[in-house]
Amino acid sequence: MNTLIVIDSLPYGDWRGREALDMAFSLAAFDRPVTLLFRSAGVNWLRPGQAADQLHQKSVERNLSAATVFGVSTLIADKAALRQYRLPSDQLPEAACETDLTPAFYQQFDSVVAL
Amino acid sequence: MTQTTSLSYTLVISGAPYTSQAPQSALAFARALVAAGHKLDRVFLYGDGVYLASCLTTPPSDELNWTQAWSEFLMETRTPAVACIASALRRGILDSAEQTRYEQPASNIAEPFEMAGLGDWVEATMSSSRILYFLPTD
Repeated sequence: MNTLIVIDSLPYGDWRGREALDMAFSLAAFDRPVTLLFRSAGVNWLRPGQAADQLHQKSVERNLSAATVFGVSTLIADKAALRQYRLPSDQLPEAACETDLTPAFYQQFDSVVAL
Repeated sequence: MTQTTSLSYTLVISGAPYTSQAPQSALAFARALVAAGHKLDRVFLYGDGVYLASCLTTPPSDELNWTQAWSEFLMETRTPAVACIASALRRGILDSAEQTRYEQPASNIAEPFEMAGLGDWVEATMSSSRILYFLPTD
């Protein structure tokens, strides 16, 4: 089963994104195919230079950098949301790519989880 | 003649009682699927959904206690119910083992809920016919 885990909330506003990321890492740990999608405000997870320590939180940048190590090979960002939040594609992490969110995109997956 | 196929379900609840409708929608669905002859494999509490497993939930006497309602249903149907351990510890839901491990003054998990890792959810994605998510916005 190919699963898409969606992160669509700001990185430090609540724990939904972190808990969605934990789901992705767990699937990968069991060798289940998993893709992470960042859409809406969730694309801000991919923004470089975050100062999470000022909020007394752990940086999600560090969490994401471990994604490939844990076996989450594909990070996808919604192209429209990147434009909305003025995040240029050349500033995205190396493992990330951008895409248009069409029905055909979602149809690639057997299961879509958006907490 | 209509022939129906019996399916197995896992329900994932990620919305808390009293701040979302997720636990009550999930319970209505669980009752309906069992009544229709399907199998409820397990219930998995995740994120704020773990608050459903707190035995300290004390609503006013004229409101339904959703933890108690779920506990009764789970025991009647002998359905396993798991609270994600990472979500639960973060939100102050502990069983006696975690109480001891973290030297906390009390445990508060309601029976028959148990604590386990996300591996249980992954296993469910492989074994259940259907996984349904009841979110905070449901």
